[in-house]
Amino acid sequence: MTAYLIRRLLLIIPTFLGITIMAFTITRFVPGGPIERMIAEARMQKTGLSSTRPLAGDQTQPLSEEQIQELKKYYGFDKPILVSYFFWLGKVLTGDLGVSTRYYDPVWDMIRDRIPISLYFGSISLLLVYGVCIPLGITKAIRHKTQFDNISSIIVFIGYAIPGWVVGVLLLIIFASQWEIFPLGGFVSDDFQDMTVFGKVWDLILHTILPLIAYMVGSFTVMTFLMKNTLMDHLASDYVRTAIAKGLSFESAVFRHALRNSLIPMATHFGNNISLILMGSFLIEKVFNINGMGLLGYESVVERDYPVVMGILVISSFLFMVGNILSDICVAIVDPRVTFE
Amino acid sequence: MNQGDILRVDNLVTSFDTEFGRLRAVDQVSFTLGKGRTLGVVGESGCGKSVTALSIMRLLPKPSGVIESGEIRFHGEDITKISNVEMRRIRGKKISMIFQEPMTALNPVHKIGKQIQEVFQLHFPEMGKQETMQNVVRSLKDVGIPDPEKRINEYPHQISGGMRQRVMIAMALACRPDILIADEPTTALDVTIQAQILELMDRLKKEINMSVIFITHDLGVIADICDDVLVMYAGNVVETAPVFSLFEDPKHPYTQGLLSSIPRLETPRKTRLPIIEGMVPSIQELPQGCRFQNRCPDVMEICRAQSPEMTVVGQDHSARCYLYSNP
Repeated sequence: MTAYLIRRLLLIIPTFLGITIMAFTITRFVPGGPIERMIAEARMQKTGLSSTRPLAGDQTQPLSEEQIQELKKYYGFDKPILVSYFFWLGKVLTGDLGVSTRYYDPVWDMIRDRIPISLYFGSISLLLVYGVCIPLGITKAIRHKTQFDNISSIIVFIGYAIPGWVVGVLLLIIFASQWEIFPLGGFVSDDFQDMTVFGKVWDLILHTILPLIAYMVGSFTVMTFLMKNTLMDHLASDYVRTAIAKGLSFESAVFRHALRNSLIPMATHFGNNISLILMGSFLIEKVFNINGMGLLGYESVVERDYPVVMGILVISSFLFMVGNILSDICVAIVDPRVTFE
Repeated sequence: MNQGDILRVDNLVTSFDTEFGRLRAVDQVSFTLGKGRTLGVVGESGCGKSVTALSIMRLLPKPSGVIESGEIRFHGEDITKISNVEMRRIRGKKISMIFQEPMTALNPVHKIGKQIQEVFQLHFPEMGKQETMQNVVRSLKDVGIPDPEKRINEYPHQISGGMRQRVMIAMALACRPDILIADEPTTALDVTIQAQILELMDRLKKEINMSVIFITHDLGVIADICDDVLVMYAGNVVETAPVFSLFEDPKHPYTQGLLSSIPRLETPRKTRLPIIEGMVPSIQELPQGCRFQNRCPDVMEICRAQSPEMTVVGQDHSARCYLYSNP
């Protein structure tokens, strides 16, 4: 077990190098970067245009060649890719993710501010997904093809067919704009600081419900049907028949025998869900104007803020790999046939 | 019902609701099982032997399988009529069952000891923890599992197929049942293990003085361990007899065909083995009259017109054939 875990942890290193080299190289070749933005900004100042987008046919170069070279040097673009990659990696290993090219804030500070928000939504939706999908899946499997099963399937599939952020928009239109039950967005209200403790909690809850629904909609369906279908497979299995032949009631056979076997695929998903949940979903965060990791990642890609892109990638790929190992451990806990050797 | 009979099945009809409508997998099956006797049920795949067994246990797949009519009298009581709760007290305690596939019949995520222990907990809830564990170890010892104290902490995947079938037998016999239904218990095992398991079942049967319903398609096994035989074809019983008279003097053309298609030591080499021509009719399209008519070498006019009834042809020996009865 220990030997296996050490081996898996060591395997993180080459995987991590692979992911980051790929991403780093891509950032070099994608058009539009900090230098281009500088040029655009300079041009804007010169011409007084309000748009940062250069007009077609506008070929005037506002910066001199020396200035551009200086900028390239500043951002490390003058060196070959591998050299600047290892320079960046060396800094990452000392815990320095660099400085945002847009806000000039340390990347780590920017990410650290967002983590609690993503963690908040992530852990609640993880709890709810497992807490609701497992019982719902069990009920649907036992009452297969009854009215309850059919109706809940329709609802769940509609939810699956609509992307989470569209659900978010719909929810906002109906419950925040039409009926004004919930706030339009944000993580807390503007006057949050002046509220009583109870008021703060209530405010937070009101701001949480709609985004949470949007977050859960997709994985909810997958997990419910994963639970239902695996349980149905196991209900038809020989060992459940053996259990009933022993004298167990059908219900006891489900809960004592079939259930644990059906949790194995659920456990496989667990680790992946952890990394997904911490990283949030940028589209949903955009819709609800929540400053989570997802939104940060989205904006940094759009604005070509490469240090932030790379910083988020470092953290998310690391989480993803740790999540995979966690999944394996979860599976080993529920399935005795799986051993680490 | 005779004094010595422990189980009596009368005109059992079991049907399945399928996309082709309601189909009778078991049609008018009747037989009796004497105390301490072993009844062999033989027939081709799909002839209704397993469905008969599952009907007795009331383990038919729900909701498609139903006992349509007929009686199953266990100690004189019709168990098709009793409540589910009462049936649960019979299952595993009075009537037990073992299955064909020892590889999948045990729960892969529970230890062997726990799976056997569950039987005692269910049927003897007053039994203390220590006593239960002693009984678990004893029941594993009874079926010839070495090191039972160690085995109880192992998982099914850690032991061989033969050992697993022994565990299944230990589980089925834990409460010393009156009847053991064995549904092809040795089919999935190799021949040496098969012989060991048969020997074990025979020994335990005598020790506990229980009755056994042994389902198989292997006539050799029937000859080996059974007292009485029930031959089934396409959902019907076609012949029933004590094992000796069945092998000595088979009456129904189907039984005759089955017996003559067994290779024997005295048959000269390179002769063709006799076979029964044709295929079993599927239960969706049963012919009018006798179900064996399309394969029967002695088929007559009457066989195509109406179905024969069971006719007494000797001591405890009946066959469903017009060769022995006048309609």
